[in-house]
Amino acid sequence: MNDFAYVGKRMTKPDIYGKVTGEAKYTDDITLPGMVEGRILCAPVAHAKIVSIDTSEAEALPGVLCVLTHKDCPDIRFSRSTMAEALPEFAFTGERQDQFILTDKVRYMGDWVAAVAAEDITTAERALELIRVEYEPLPPVLDPFTALEQGAPVVHEDCADNIAFEMDHPFNCGDVEKAFAEADAVAEFSGVNSRQKHLHMETDVAIASFESDKRLVIYSPSQGPHLAKKHLTKRVFPDLDDGDIRWISPAIGGGFGARLALGVEPAAVLLARHCNRPVRVTTTREEDFQGYSSRTDMHQTIRVAATKEGKLLAIDQKIVSDSGAYLSHSATTSTVNMQKTLGVLKCDNIKGHLTVVYTNTPVTSGFRGYGNPEGAFVLQQALDRLAEKIGMDPMEFRLRNLKEPGDPSCFVPVTLEHTKLKECIDVGAEKFGWKDKWQGWDAAKEGRYRRGVGMSVLTHASGAGGFLLEHSSCVMKVLTDGSLNLIVSPCEMGQGIIGALTQVAAEATGLRYEQIRISTGDTDVTMFDIGSHASRSMLVIGNAVHAAGVKIHDQICERAVKYFEEHQVKLEASDIKVRAGEITSDKAPGVVIDVSKVAYDAIYDFGEGGSQLNASGSYLSTSHHPNHQAAFAEVEVDTETGQVTVVNYVSAHDIGRAINPLLVEAQMEGSLVQGIGFALTEDFVIDPETGKVLSDSLLTYRLPSTMDVPPMEHLLIEEPLEAGPFGAKGCGEAGLVNPAPAIANAIYDAVGIRVHSLPMSADKVLWALKHGTEEAPGQSRVSGQFL
Amino acid sequence: MSKRIGTFNVNGKNADTIVEPQMLLVDVLREKLDLTGTKRACAAGNCGACTVLADGDPICSCITLAVAAEGREIETVEGLRAADGTLHPLQQAFIDHCAAQCGYCTAGMLMTAKALLEANPRPTREDVKRALSGNSCRCTGYVKIIDAVMDAAQQINAAKEVAA
Ligand code: FES
Ligand code: FES
Repeated sequence: MNDFAYVGKRMTKPDIYGKVTGEAKYTDDITLPGMVEGRILCAPVAHAKIVSIDTSEAEALPGVLCVLTHKDCPDIRFSRSTMAEALPEFAFTGERQDQFILTDKVRYMGDWVAAVAAEDITTAERALELIRVEYEPLPPVLDPFTALEQGAPVVHEDCADNIAFEMDHPFNCGDVEKAFAEADAVAEFSGVNSRQKHLHMETDVAIASFESDKRLVIYSPSQGPHLAKKHLTKRVFPDLDDGDIRWISPAIGGGFGARLALGVEPAAVLLARHCNRPVRVTTTREEDFQGYSSRTDMHQTIRVAATKEGKLLAIDQKIVSDSGAYLSHSATTSTVNMQKTLGVLKCDNIKGHLTVVYTNTPVTSGFRGYGNPEGAFVLQQALDRLAEKIGMDPMEFRLRNLKEPGDPSCFVPVTLEHTKLKECIDVGAEKFGWKDKWQGWDAAKEGRYRRGVGMSVLTHASGAGGFLLEHSSCVMKVLTDGSLNLIVSPCEMGQGIIGALTQVAAEATGLRYEQIRISTGDTDVTMFDIGSHASRSMLVIGNAVHAAGVKIHDQICERAVKYFEEHQVKLEASDIKVRAGEITSDKAPGVVIDVSKVAYDAIYDFGEGGSQLNASGSYLSTSHHPNHQAAFAEVEVDTETGQVTVVNYVSAHDIGRAINPLLVEAQMEGSLVQGIGFALTEDFVIDPETGKVLSDSLLTYRLPSTMDVPPMEHLLIEEPLEAGPFGAKGCGEAGLVNPAPAIANAIYDAVGIRVHSLPMSADKVLWALKHGTEEAPGQSRVSGQFL
Repeated sequence: MSKRIGTFNVNGKNADTIVEPQMLLVDVLREKLDLTGTKRACAAGNCGACTVLADGDPICSCITLAVAAEGREIETVEGLRAADGTLHPLQQAFIDHCAAQCGYCTAGMLMTAKALLEANPRPTREDVKRALSGNSCRCTGYVKIIDAVMDAAQQINAAKEVAA
């Protein structure tokens, strides 16, 4: 047992107080003097030339300050994804910069055609109605396979084949064809995920304000304001420089990856520039649905091969991703799918190919899990099919193919140092009762309600060391009362990182948790950092905090020597320790000195020792330290209605050490319920004729409610990671990966059908139950397999 | 459009402000009375984020015309705390259970839960789930919210027993 004062404790988090009292300020709660309202005109057709735009009537409306169109935008294309600024040159080549702030041509229904600033929101909206746009409709291309055909409508003129990005699996290895030829069993699964919406409750919003000194201040809920700022200056407004912008991320009403892309910020800046007033641009929930930010739909076929003893011999993956009208994060999420999803088990022969295709549909983006949930839905079912062919318990099959430290990790150039996936499977299976519940591949189930069990395993990252710009820095200063100001860069989107970092800071410095205050979210104050995503914050930022904290701790010890002398004890600094605000030494039993005394005297020293206790800390991650999970689901299928209910879910997480188990649990619960939505109910429907989003409200897009929450258990497998702050790995993202495949495998166990497209909604389950999988309405166009 | 002065009773205090006929209650609260704790997330009555109490009943302030709220006692998240600043047991329970993540749904959850506990002081877990089923939360997976409401009910009942 460790004797940490704070690490490992279940504690609430400091930022929650403002959230339960209504005091927390989100972007839309901020009002600046003279601020006006900005709104954006969205195109009503999926594909069209813009013949002319007449803004005169809108401009004449009293209260309207400016009406802008494509001709008012910088003549430079950018991507909404800010990742270009975190990737090395070699990896960046595929990131197409492909859109303008206000478009030159309509590429999806919802594309941004014009923007208005007006004194109030009602006037702004009236002005939108008065803009006369003449469109010359073009035939739209609404699915990626049609887009790949010869002679298909072209979405971007400089991309005649509609292929936005194409690559082989970056770590193709071995001889896949030979392995397939020699295998005892081969299996295949094809499937496609739906465009799950982030559905952050706070719709997209930004305020841009040019101060009197010409400096631009942006308020917007970004997950990575330093990166967004760099991207904005480099790619959108090249006349601005890094130092010309101050970006403030206020409280963030949910992110899940969506805030890693630029939203309405460029439009807000453009409007603020033209009307010389601070401008707040807001969007509606319908615009959020029609517009951008959802998961990318990845059509996949995965073939796998094994020996009859259950050794996984080969994986062959093909992906066709539909990026929508602009590339954004689609290429990067799809490559992450290839790496993380295929990298979960040991396999010497891997091959994959990815094609990302433009269509005239809304823009997709990066979403929690970032390609891994999309891939796992297909791979984990292919693995089950393979296990079935060799007549092996699917859990046993996975256990026989686990990676060990020293094997290549899911990001192949980096070696796997630490994995507890076996423990996850063992502990999870025990708790779930897998041995009793799994009754074999031919177990007969009877009756209207049939139960089944399924499982899935995953690997995910703690940041992307060795690939992304994975460093972070922080600053600490101690005040006269022994309290600490910690200036550090994570973005608190609700995931609890502020709380967890407070615990790390308190533990490392020896100061009191209640007296630690974190300043974050302001690029003028915090040090450069690529933001909160990829479960990187705890590992990378946490280590920077730890590094600074240890320095503060040591400064206190050095200064404390003289206070022990007052007690007639002669000590070295190394004999002294600081914990929870108290300075003690094993060599001076009974002597307790409060940190506030040392901190006060350090500042109020008029002699030579005067200096505030302060330190900075930096960390550079060169590895990505995967976390792992094993999940077990039990479902009940109503064979009359097709309704699937999750009746139990057990998941075990290899997370190094939980800095705060309560916060970890909260992340796991939230991501599981998002995963259940992904698996069963959340359906993003685009009209195949017009390209209009039909699921454009919370009535037509079914978010899980309180009634969808199953009994669940989250087990933490804690064996400290040497490189982690107090042993911690990242944990927030991964929970969304396993639910869909575990539930899919459980449905198969219950009723013997597999649904090949997400969500596995009641109508599809019912159809498959009635007609069998062979007659299903569609065929995978990647492989010809039935969907 | 006829502007006029409207009088709103919010959190026990009367406030006069200019209203226009098309204004929604959420606009008056947020824009006119600076009570930004109430959030708007769908503006269509589908998510519950904007829930406030009107004479004790939970209503969606995003689909309630401001003029229709005049003469009713409106309570928002800002009114939950006692006059001395003590947190409402629901707020305390949300803190203890870490039942708010991004916090955008939280005000609506608290107000809906308050109405539930007033109507049904000893709810079962199922009662809580049903009462909150119209309030969407994208972050928490609801588990800790349900735990917190159950806990708050107990705290309130225990306090009442001590007082009696
Ligand atoms: S904002 Fe009122 S119900 Fe969603
Ligand atoms: S806490 Fe984020 S929506 Fe509920």
